[in-house]
Amino acid sequence: MKVQTPMASLGGIVRRTEPLKTGDLIRQYLAELAQHHHLILSFARRDIRVKYKQTAFGVAWAILQPFSLMLIFTLVFSTLARVPSDGIPYPIFAYSALIFWTFFATSISQGTVAMVANAELVRKIYFPRETLILAVMLSTTFDLLIASTIFGGMMLYYQIVITWNLLWILPLLVLQIFFVLGVICVTSALEVHLRDIGHVLPLLLQLWMFASPVAYPLSLVPPWLQPVYLLNPMAFLIDSYRRVILQGTPPNPVQLALAIAVAFLLVSVAYLGFKRAERTFADVI
Amino acid sequence: MGDFDIRLDRVSKIYSLHRASSLRDEAGRLARRLFLGHDTPRERCTALSDISLEVRRGETVGLIGSNGAGKSTLLKILSRVTVPTSGQFWTSGRVGALIEIGAGFHPDLTGRENVFLNGAILGMRHAEIEAKFDHIVGFAEVEKFLDTPIKYYSSGMLVRLGFAVACHIDPEILLVDEVLAVGDASFQAKCLNKLAELKAQQKTIILVSHVMTNILQDSTRVLWIDRGTVRALGEPERIVEEYLESAQHGIAEVSALPQAPDPSPIRIRDVTIKDSWLRVSSVLEHGRPATIEVGYRALSSVSDPVVAIEFHDARGYPLGGLTTRLDGVKLDATREHGVVRLVLSPLLFTRGAYGVNVAIHDARIQRYLDFRPGATMFTVEGPGIASREVSGHVVYPHRWEVETSDAARDTE
Repeated sequence: MKVQTPMASLGGIVRRTEPLKTGDLIRQYLAELAQHHHLILSFARRDIRVKYKQTAFGVAWAILQPFSLMLIFTLVFSTLARVPSDGIPYPIFAYSALIFWTFFATSISQGTVAMVANAELVRKIYFPRETLILAVMLSTTFDLLIASTIFGGMMLYYQIVITWNLLWILPLLVLQIFFVLGVICVTSALEVHLRDIGHVLPLLLQLWMFASPVAYPLSLVPPWLQPVYLLNPMAFLIDSYRRVILQGTPPNPVQLALAIAVAFLLVSVAYLGFKRAERTFADVI
Repeated sequence: MGDFDIRLDRVSKIYSLHRASSLRDEAGRLARRLFLGHDTPRERCTALSDISLEVRRGETVGLIGSNGAGKSTLLKILSRVTVPTSGQFWTSGRVGALIEIGAGFHPDLTGRENVFLNGAILGMRHAEIEAKFDHIVGFAEVEKFLDTPIKYYSSGMLVRLGFAVACHIDPEILLVDEVLAVGDASFQAKCLNKLAELKAQQKTIILVSHVMTNILQDSTRVLWIDRGTVRALGEPERIVEEYLESAQHGIAEVSALPQAPDPSPIRIRDVTIKDSWLRVSSVLEHGRPATIEVGYRALSSVSDPVVAIEFHDARGYPLGGLTTRLDGVKLDATREHGVVRLVLSPLLFTRGAYGVNVAIHDARIQRYLDFRPGATMFTVEGPGIASREVSGHVVYPHRWEVETSDAARDTE
């Protein structure tokens, strides 16, 4: 059985007289990526296995992280600071945001170092580098699934009424994944050149969390600030997860359209930039 | 594309040298590079310039050149790890690289898991690896340890496993870089057989080696790269001879063979050839003294190491060697740095080009502590084969005696 060589006919034609149109370029990238889908799975399998192989708690860590954050948040923001939570019990109010936020933050921090962590491979072997990013995405999605099991239990405990609007979770997750992929395309390529990114990131993510309605409700943000505030797709996403899961209402359509626009613009520009930067990864990393 | 499996058309690769710069400079430059696709000029280094080459299906092209000549860069371009700065190239079919075997192995995963991971990285599908799994494991001789994390494997096992996966990719084009120097003798024989098998299957092979014997044995053509340009391309024997004769090899060129897996207590640092005036030179004169100087560095104290120097002709045919032990010379390797000189006085080699292998053994010559095949080369001026006055590579110490008389010789 033979595998079709990626881009066999195109070999490595460099500096063509007529550059490909952007659309063709993206199509070509995606076709090559599709040929490497098995590699994405292999990397993801590796990442998941390695992550849990040598830990005593194993996959329980995927739950412990957001869960312990929830306990701390409940203590600090609800019990002490008395932050309102739109009439929802604070623990589940916080957890509904924290599992998606943890998904976001771990994806970004692991995705950013995806190239550097695999520097040996990148230096020596050719494969579309975005497979590493997509593998990170798969393994963090796996964590999210684990973390959401306990969420189900909490929903029963707090007697949350489930509505059809819960199905909105899936498109919202897809939107979040696209947005995150866009961010990682930029940060992981930058990280190859400048290791500073990896150092700045934890701080940045911390700030980003407080700029999103994770610990507090969106209603606490003054109306005049909201248009700017909602330019952050994570602000919209976190608020919407709460709406569709806890309140049984659909996301705000205008905000949804805005978030889709931001995410798709980002992911397409970032992907093209990533593919351009990718050519020199092996030389620089 | 015709029936060419590889075609390079004026391929160049220029690396820009990275200097430490401020974060602000770097950020601005990056933004330009990422989003505009060009870069402000920096210090540059040309690794390859205007390389053109066509390789037919089933050909084996030997790639030779001194270290830093651009051989690895060329292989990197062919395997698509890096992109040429200008020029175009085509390859048809799957490219397999026996270059960095075992890349992507993860220490915490088992042998089985790593076979699948490494296979996938090298471009095999899951089903394909499954089908070849028993072969791979059998080839690597690691059946018993399949479910052990490979961090517990010996380095020999790792190399075998890596090679086993790599040579089961079944590529149309195979890039081989000095890997034949890995593993123990029986595994090496296995690798050489595998290479011969791939050759017989009409695979297109690019073979890099510092061992000219391998190049001459296997190549249909030889490409000699010198400072990033094609110096010569053609019939193996002629090019290898030219290569060995080229003057620039006089000054020590310690070959970039994969280092011995375990950190060796003693390392050959450089090998230098000096002429009868004790000048560093690669051109020696027949009948005059010549010196081969081996600098070494002992990282830890070694008791009685033995330095061995072997000579071979342009085709890699061995012409004998000498060891310090043979002559009862003791080396003091309790100090860190040392130099051993072999003085050949007079030099008996005939005109031609010669290669030198240098090795350091343990006291009983049972183990290599360091080995540099093709460590350096030299040419000899003087009477040569072509003059029909001498034959072979050595003129023995000798004299002729002639006796004449008018009377019949008394034989009683």
